[in-house]
Amino acid sequence: MSSRMDSIWSKLDRKATAIAEFTIRQYRTRISTWAVMIAGILALSMLVLFYIDGLNTEFEAIDNDGDSIDHDSDGYPTGQEIIEGTDPFSAQSFPVGVTPDPASKWINEDDFDWDAIEANDMSQGYDDDGDCRTRTTSSQRDQNDNNIECDVYMDWNIYTQEHTIYSDGGVDEDPDENLYGQEAQHRAFVLGIGKFGIVYMLGIMLPLFLATGLIREEMSSGTMHYMLAKPIARGEVLLYRMIGYIGVTWPYIMSICLVLCLITGFAGPGESIFRWSDIGIWMSISLSAMLVSLVYGTIFCGFGILWKNGVILALLLGVWELGMAFVAIASGGDSPIKFFSVIGWGLTLVDSATMIFWPDNNTLIEVGLWGGGQSVTSWFSGEERFVSLPAAEALSTFSGSTSGLSLAPWASAVTASLVLIIQAAMSWFIGQIVFKSKEID
Amino acid sequence: MIPDLTQEGKAETKEWKPDLTAPVVMFDRVSKSYGRINALSGVSIGISGGVTGILGLNGAGKSTMFKLMMGKLKASSGAVRLFGTDPWKNPAPYSRIGFVPEHEKLHDWMTAFDFIVTFGRLHGMTRDEASKEAARVLDFVSLTDVMHKKIGQFSKGMRQRVKIAHALVNDPELIILDEPLQGCDPLARTTIMNVIKELGRMGRTVLVSSHILHEIERITEQIVILHRGRVLALGNSHAIREMLDQHPHKILLECDKARNLAKSVMDINEVTGMSFVNENQLLIETRHLGAVHSRLPKVIVDGKHTVKGIDNPDDDLQSILVYLTGGFL
Repeated sequence: MSSRMDSIWSKLDRKATAIAEFTIRQYRTRISTWAVMIAGILALSMLVLFYIDGLNTEFEAIDNDGDSIDHDSDGYPTGQEIIEGTDPFSAQSFPVGVTPDPASKWINEDDFDWDAIEANDMSQGYDDDGDCRTRTTSSQRDQNDNNIECDVYMDWNIYTQEHTIYSDGGVDEDPDENLYGQEAQHRAFVLGIGKFGIVYMLGIMLPLFLATGLIREEMSSGTMHYMLAKPIARGEVLLYRMIGYIGVTWPYIMSICLVLCLITGFAGPGESIFRWSDIGIWMSISLSAMLVSLVYGTIFCGFGILWKNGVILALLLGVWELGMAFVAIASGGDSPIKFFSVIGWGLTLVDSATMIFWPDNNTLIEVGLWGGGQSVTSWFSGEERFVSLPAAEALSTFSGSTSGLSLAPWASAVTASLVLIIQAAMSWFIGQIVFKSKEID
Repeated sequence: MIPDLTQEGKAETKEWKPDLTAPVVMFDRVSKSYGRINALSGVSIGISGGVTGILGLNGAGKSTMFKLMMGKLKASSGAVRLFGTDPWKNPAPYSRIGFVPEHEKLHDWMTAFDFIVTFGRLHGMTRDEASKEAARVLDFVSLTDVMHKKIGQFSKGMRQRVKIAHALVNDPELIILDEPLQGCDPLARTTIMNVIKELGRMGRTVLVSSHILHEIERITEQIVILHRGRVLALGNSHAIREMLDQHPHKILLECDKARNLAKSVMDINEVTGMSFVNENQLLIETRHLGAVHSRLPKVIVDGKHTVKGIDNPDDDLQSILVYLTGGFL
C-alpha cells in the first residue's frame, strides 16, 4: 500500500512540478503579466503617496471646550480662572499674584484618559483641567448618574454591538486632535488600502488578467494539444496550472503587503519605532488577498474553459463582487448578504484580524465619533450630533465593527479562511468537470 | 508520502495495463457529427504495427479521426479504443502514444530541449530522465546542434521535427502524425519521411495523414483512403493503383505544334481519344497508361517532334477519388 501511495504521489508531483514550472515560466515571458503587476504597483504607490502626504499634514488643534479664551480680557484664560476660582467673565476678578498662562496651554488640555480595551460598561476618564471637579454641587459633578463623580461611563450594547458614551460635563472634553487624527488616519489607510486596494482590486485584477486565459488561450492557440496528449487527466492539468498561477500571484501579493507593512510601520504614528501590531493586520490582508485571488482565479479559469469569451462572465462576477464589497464595507461587516460572495469572506477575514490585533479599534472609533462630548444641533433635522475628531469617520467606514459571524475573532478568521479554501476547491471541481466534458478542436 | 521535490525518485509504476489482445488502434462503427454535419460516419478499422497512411482531401475526416483517438472529441456513436481503452474516458494509454498535432503553434519562448524535457516530465519522468530522453530524440530528428535555441527562431521544417521529437520522448508504441509534411521544404520532407520509415522498421505502429498521394507512397504501401467521413479504400497502394490502371487516363504533352504531333500519336493503338488544349498542348486519353508511355518516345523521335513536357494531370488523390466514387466528389 505504502509503495503504491509513494508511486502515485511521486508521479503526481513530478507532473505537478513540470506543469507548474512551465506555467510560471510562461507567465514570465508574457508582457501582459508584467503590465498587470507594474500597474498594480503603480496604483498602490500612488495610494502610499497620499498616505505620506496625510502624515505630513498636522491636524489643527482645536480648543473644544473654549477655555483658552480670555472672555473678560484680564489676561487669564478661562480655564485658569476656573481652576483658581475667580470669575472668568469679570475683568475685576482674577487670581492675584499668579502668572497668566499662555492661551495655548488650555488647548488640548484634557485629553482622553482611557485605558479600557474592551470597555464593557466601564468607568473611564480623569478631569485633567479640573473644570468638573471644581463644580459646586454633587449632581453637577455626576451628570451621568453612575454615582461616580467626574468620570466617563461607557455602555456596551451587546445587541447593537455599539458603545454609548455618557460623560460627566467637562471630563476628557478637550482631546488632542493631532494625536487622535494621526492614529485614526493611519488605521483607516491600512484598512482602506488593505480591504479595497489589495483584497478586492488586486484579488480580482490579477485573476482577471492572469487566470482567465490560463486554459483558454492554450485551447485557442492549439498548444493545449501537446499537454492533453500526455497521460494526465484534464482535472490535473487545471489543478497544476492553478498551482503555477499561485506561484506567480502569491509571492507578488505577499511582497506588496510586506513593503506596505514596512513603509507604514516605520512611517506611521506611535511611540515605538515600528508598529508591531500592524503586522498581524497586514498578514491577514495578505492571506485574504491570496485566498480571494485563488478563488477568483479558479472561477475565471473555469469561465475561460466554458466559453471563449469567458472574460465577460468574469467581468459580470466582478461587478457583483464589487457590490458585495461595498455592502460588506458599508455595513461595518455585519451584513449577512456579503456571505453570498467571495469578497465578503475575504473582508470578514480582515475584520476578524482587526478585532484580534487592534482590540481597541472599536473604542477608538466610538471615542473619536464622540469627540469630547461637544455637540451641534442640525439646522435641518434638529438632531443633536457629536462633533467627531478628524479621521474618525474614515476609520469607522473602513473598519468592520463585527465580523458578522457572531463568533470569537479567531474562530471567524479561521472560518472565513476555510470557506475561501472550500470555495476554491468547489470551483476547481466544477471547472474540471467542464474541462473534462469539453471537446477541443 | 514525502513529495519528491528533488525529482530524483524512482520512475512511476504504471497501474494502467494495455490490453495485448486488442489491436493498437480500433474504431468500431465510429460516427462523429457536428450538428447536422457528419464528420465521420460508421468508420471501422483496426490497425496494429507498421506505417499506415491516412489519405483524404481536406474535410474528409482525417483530423476528426485523430482527435477522436487523442480524446479531444467524444464519438457520437461507436467505440474508439487505443490498446483496448477508451481515450475519452481515460488518458492512461497516452503513456504509450506519441502525437504530432497538425497545429503549427508551438511554445515559441522555449528552447527545443526545454520543451521536450517539460513534456517528457508529464510522462512521470524525473528531470534527469527527461533530459536524457530529450537529447536522444533530438538526435533522432537531427536537431542536436540547435536544441538550445528558442523554437521561435526555427524554420517550419525544424518546428515540425521538434513536434515529432516531442512525441517520441516516451519511446511510444503508437505514433500519430497529423499532416507532418505540410509546408516543409524538400530537405525537411526527406528527413521526416526517413524518420517515419525508421519508426516503421523499429516495429512501431505509425499513423500518418496526408492529402498528397505520392508523399504517402514514398513512406508506406499500407493506406486508408477517407472520403466524406467514410473509409473508401483500405489496403496496399499498389493494389489500389492497379485498379486505377483500368480506368481512362489522360496524358498532357507540351510541344511546338500540337497538330503535327497528333497525326503521329494517332498511330498508337491504345490511344482512345485526343483533344487540343491550345496550339502547344495536346491531351491524350487512354485505358492503358503503361503501354502508351512505352511507345510514346519512339513515336516522338520518329516524327522528329519537339516535346517539352509530359504530364499525367490526373495521377493524384483527387482523380483516384473521382474514379472510386464514380465521379461523385
